[in-house]
Parts: sequence; C-alpha cells; structure tokens
Amino acid sequence: MNTALNLLHLLTPESILVETILVVLIAGLFKATAQKRNMLLSLTLIGGVTAGAMLIFQPHYGNIANGMAVLDPLTRFIKVVVLGLSLITAVYAVQSNIRQHFAEYLALILFTAIGMMLLAGTENLLMIFIALEMVSIPLYLLAGFLKQSSASAEASLKYFLVGGVSAAFLLFGISLIYGTTGATSLRDLAQSAPAVTRDPLFLAGLVMAIVGFGFKVAAVPFHLWAPDVYEGAPTSSAALIASGSKVAGFLILAKFLAIGLAGAAGSAASSQLQPGWLPLLAVIAAISIVVGNLAALSQSNVKRILAYSAIAQSGYMLLGLSATGGTALISVLFYVVVYALTALGAFGVVLHVEQRRGGSQLHHFEGLHQSAPGLALCMGVFMISLAGIPPLAGFFGKFYLFAGALGSASQGGNLGLLWVVAIAITFNAVSLYYYLIVLKHVFVTPATHPAEPVTRRNAATFVTGLLAVSVFAIGLYPGVLLDPLRAAAQAANRKPVTAAPVQPK
Amino acid sequence: MITLNDYLLVSGLLFALGFAGVLLRRNIIIIFMGLELMLNAANLSLVAFSRFGIVNGLPNYNGQMLVFFIITVAAAEVAVGLAIIVALYRARQTTNVEDLNTLKF
Amino acid sequence: MSYDYLLLTIFLAIALIFPLVPLGLAWLWARTLSPAKPGHDKQATYECGLESEKPVQIQFQAHYYLYALVFLVFDVETVFLLPFAAMGFVNIPVVGFLSIMLFLLLLVESLVWAWAKGILEWK
Repeated sequence: MNTALNLLHLLTPESILVETILVVLIAGLFKATAQKRNMLLSLTLIGGVTAGAMLIFQPHYGNIANGMAVLDPLTRFIKVVVLGLSLITAVYAVQSNIRQHFAEYLALILFTAIGMMLLAGTENLLMIFIALEMVSIPLYLLAGFLKQSSASAEASLKYFLVGGVSAAFLLFGISLIYGTTGATSLRDLAQSAPAVTRDPLFLAGLVMAIVGFGFKVAAVPFHLWAPDVYEGAPTSSAALIASGSKVAGFLILAKFLAIGLAGAAGSAASSQLQPGWLPLLAVIAAISIVVGNLAALSQSNVKRILAYSAIAQSGYMLLGLSATGGTALISVLFYVVVYALTALGAFGVVLHVEQRRGGSQLHHFEGLHQSAPGLALCMGVFMISLAGIPPLAGFFGKFYLFAGALGSASQGGNLGLLWVVAIAITFNAVSLYYYLIVLKHVFVTPATHPAEPVTRRNAATFVTGLLAVSVFAIGLYPGVLLDPLRAAAQAANRKPVTAAPVQPK
Repeated sequence: MITLNDYLLVSGLLFALGFAGVLLRRNIIIIFMGLELMLNAANLSLVAFSRFGIVNGLPNYNGQMLVFFIITVAAAEVAVGLAIIVALYRARQTTNVEDLNTLKF
Repeated sequence: MSYDYLLLTIFLAIALIFPLVPLGLAWLWARTLSPAKPGHDKQATYECGLESEKPVQIQFQAHYYLYALVFLVFDVETVFLLPFAAMGFVNIPVVGFLSIMLFLLLLVESLVWAWAKGILEWK
C-alpha cells in the first residue's frame, strides 16, 4: 500500500500528463472552430508546464520496487529536457499541415513524452522494455499521421516494421540476460553479471539487446529506416523522433551498459582487445560515423541530410559511451542534449520552408536569407553547430566527447581509443561539406522561386529562434548546461540508495 | 523430463522462424505474423526462465509478470500496425513490401 | 530426453504419414493419370452448391477493421483484470482497489472517446 502511494508521489508529473491527455482528447471532440488548434495547444502547454513544475518540486531521491521507478537529480534533469523537447514539438505541430484529428496528434506527443520520462526514470529491465514501447508505438502513429499521403504511410510502416523487429530483439536479449543472471534491476545485474561473462547465452542476450538498442538509436548497420522515416513523416513528428526519442534512447542505453553491465565491458583499446560490449560499441560507432557522413554527401533533400547526419551523430555518441568511467557519461549527455536542441531547431526551419515553398529539397532553401533572414541565420547556427565549429555548442560537445574517449581510464589509459577518435575527426571534416552545402543554398544561391511575402512571426519561428539562441549561449558558456549536468551526476552518485557509482574496470 | 534447454531450443527456433519470416516474406501481413512469432518466442523463454530460475524454493516471478505486459504491448502493436497497413492500403492499394518505393535516394 | 517421448514421437510420425500418403497418391493420380479438363462448372466459385449470384471477392469497408481493432485492444486489456480476479475479490488493499478502478475508468473514457469519434457507428 505504501509502495503504491510512493509510486504515485514519484510519478506525479507523468500522472499530470495523463490527465492532460484525457482533457485534450475530450476537448478535441467538440465542434471545430478556427481557434480550436490554438486552444488545444494551450491546454497541452499548460499541462506540460504544470508537469515540469511538479518535477522540480519532487523529492530528490526515490527508488521504488527494485528500480522500477527511480528519481535522482540527473534523471530529473533529463526528464525536464525530454518534456521540453516534446512541448516544442507540439508548438511546431500547430504550424504544420496536420489539419484532421489535431487533438489526437497532441495526445500522441504527450504519450511519447510520458514514455520518455518513464524511460529516463527507470533502472529495471522490465520497465525499460515497456517504456521503450510506450515511446515507440505513439511515434509510429505520429510518423504516419498524414493518412492521405502515401509517403507518410510508407514511412510509418517502415518505422513500424523495423521498430517491431528491434523490440523483439531487445526483448529476447533481455529474456536471456534475465535468465542467465536472474536479475531484472540494473543494480542486481551489476552484481551478478561478472559471474556469467563467459556464458554464451548471456553473451547472445547482450548482443541481441545491443542490436535492439542499435535500431532505436539508428546506428549503422541498423540505420536503414532513418532516412525514409525522416523524409516521409510529418516534419513535426520527425523532429520528435530526431530529438526527444534520441535523448531518452541514449540515456537508457548508457544506464543499461554502464550501470548494469559494467562488469562485462571488455576493452576496445587497440593494444589490448578484450571481448565484451565495449569493442562492439566502438566498432558500431566507427561504422556509423563513416557511413552516415559519406551517405549524407549525395543527398538532395534536407530532411535526408539531417537523417544521415543523425546517424553519424549517433556514432559520435556511441563513441562517447564506449569511453566509460570518469566524466564520460556527462560528456555524452551534454552532447546528446545539445544535438537534440540543434536538430529540433533545424527541423523548425525545415518546417517553415516546407509550409512556404512546398518541399524540403535543397533548392527550396534557395534565397531564404531574403524572405526570412532571421530563420536563415538560425539555420546557419544549427548547421555550424552540427558541424562542430567553435564557438557554437556542437564544438564543445565534440570536444568533451573526444577528450573523454582519449583519456578514458578503462581503455588502458594511453590513448587506447585513438583509432576511433581518429576516424571520427577525419569524417567530421568530411561532414563540413554537406552542412555548408545547405548553408550555400540558404545564403549564396539566388532565389529561383517567386518572391513570397515576408514571414509573419508565429510561435514556431519564435521557438526556433529561441533554440538558436540557446545553442549559441551554450557555445559561449558551456557551463550553462555542463554545470547542472555535472552537479546532478555528482548528486546522483552520492545518494545512499544506489550508492555504488560505476567503477571503471 | 523436459529441461530448461528444451524450452530454450523451442524458443530459439520460434525466434529464428519469425525472423526468417520477416526477412523472406513479401506480404506485409505475413511479415507481421513473423514479428508476433518473435515476440512470443521471447515470452516462452521468459516463462521458462521464470519457472526454472528457482530462488529460495520459489520461482522467480518477474519474468512471468513481464509476459502479461508483453501480451498487451504486442496487442497495442498489432492494433497500430494493422491501422498503418489499412492506411497504406487505402493510399497505395498494395500489401507487398516490394511496392514500397516512394521514398528513395 | 528419455523414452517418455518415444511413444509420442511414433504417434506423431504415424499421424503425419496417414493423411500425407493418401494426399500424395491423389496428387500423383491427378498429375499423371487424369487429364486436365477445366470447364465452366469446374472453374465456378463454390457457394453452397448453388450458382454464385454476385462477385464473391467483396471488400470489407475499412470501418470493419476499426471495429476489429477497437475490439482487439479492449479484449487484451482484460489481462490486467486477472490479478484482480485472482485475489478472489477479497483481501484487496484499498489502494489496489482504487488503482484497478482507475484503470477501468481509463478504459471507459477511451470507449467514450471512440464512441464520440463515430468509430462504433456502422455506416
């Protein structure tokens, strides 16, 4: 009985979001008026902001039913981030071409937000699977929301099939890990995993789980769905897939590997290769970086460029994950949050262009600096940040990531991961080409489209501008984001309930 | 006597069959059935592990509990998947994956 | 594996052989001995032994699938009522009772939503 009340207390923000969904769905049933979409959006935002406020007034620590629902400062921080990203997506949705069933669209975004928050706040294999499905299933629907568009339906189906297979892989992997260790909570798993690291069943389960996660974060060779989905899905849905689900996915992958399986890590150092998940991760990271960056070169659709760039960025993040210990987790989270803000902003610009000019091919962006100078400037900030050029946030993200990987103590100290970092830096230079191609179309190429009226301000462009400013600000003062993350992570390690910080091997 | 390994063998076979179905078949509905087969293979192994993973004289019930949730999650997935297939069929008049070629380089 | 399953295996083998052998013979007979003579009556769709009057391959409305999907979801959600029933409807703590009621309330709201959306109306 106590547990149930505690659980309710711990999950108050999520409960508020559920209530918001119910209200939005019922409100959506009433007769459509011109103001209805804005009314629904404000209902959503009110609910979301209330939930965010509740998050801040939550108890600092909590751990219920063996890690089913946990709360610590780091988790809370990530929960606030994913909630914010989802609400921004909701603002985008008002400007997008979703006319029918708008209330349901908002409700699905909120469902995804709940799933991501639960995913961030769990350290239990059972809950990880359920929360991951709570994220994925609404996302399939969001991707296919334009029922009449055959591209949207196709993107949704591809996303669904790939996501379903990955869920099955993940589940089978979880079942094998559970079977061989008898543990479902990650902390228990950390205790019993070292005893079975040579058990083939356990290793098979580990590989299958990593394959499942690899699909979710779109790492090569499990990336083929991403470009099609980004292109075919409604832009606001693609923005959520690219930003929020990525943050939640990487946080849970990091928790799964660094907390649960720290004992089965092995080593990817070129001098002392040991079997485990680290070499696997390092290889996946290297391939993702190479394939993502090379494939992006030949694209002509900005959404597809963003998709392949996302695959490459996944590679960088996996590289950060394979450098366990020390500040590695912080740098990965810093990177993934910055990436999410940037990608969300870039999709905001794409949304604007798509609404105004009917497409997201490169030539649709021509002469954007004349018709919408503010947005063009924002696009410049996002692209340069993605390319990792100082002084923008993306540069510091990459800097911390690479520095963490090079200095990683668990890799035998002396530059063991140098080979991956070398690949990453080389191909980062390659990536500059396609980011600059986008900017060339935005700024240099003269407009071939007929002149359009100068953009009126609306909520979506305002939010896009805000994202650009925040990316810029984080670039100037990385501490804005880094300090809270660092403080949160330290506080999370100090807490008594889960007092075992991840020991570098 | 049926041992844990027998269950795992069956579940591994089911998983392989389901995966082969997903990879080889061309009809979306059948691919879909393969997917469900994969999920149910995982269910079987979870129940088997739960039944045989005896701690202090009691089976480890966590696995069986998860199976309940997987069943409902799978049902939700089926509902969503069929809805997507219906939407696709109305837009394209096909249920063959080889006809899904709108989105390409 | 022991001899426990020997009987079953043999039984299974026999159970497979008995229907398969006649089928195979019939197939051989049809392939080698009987000439193929497709005719109007042979090609006709079988409909209770009568001449079929309308095209038989009718398409269901998409609405039919919506019905089925709504049914599917509500049908499976009853799984979560199982623990409630397994407790024998007694000895249930207040919080447990309230949470199951909350769950039912959510189901009712989703039913109301589906109804108001017009999914349950046959057109």
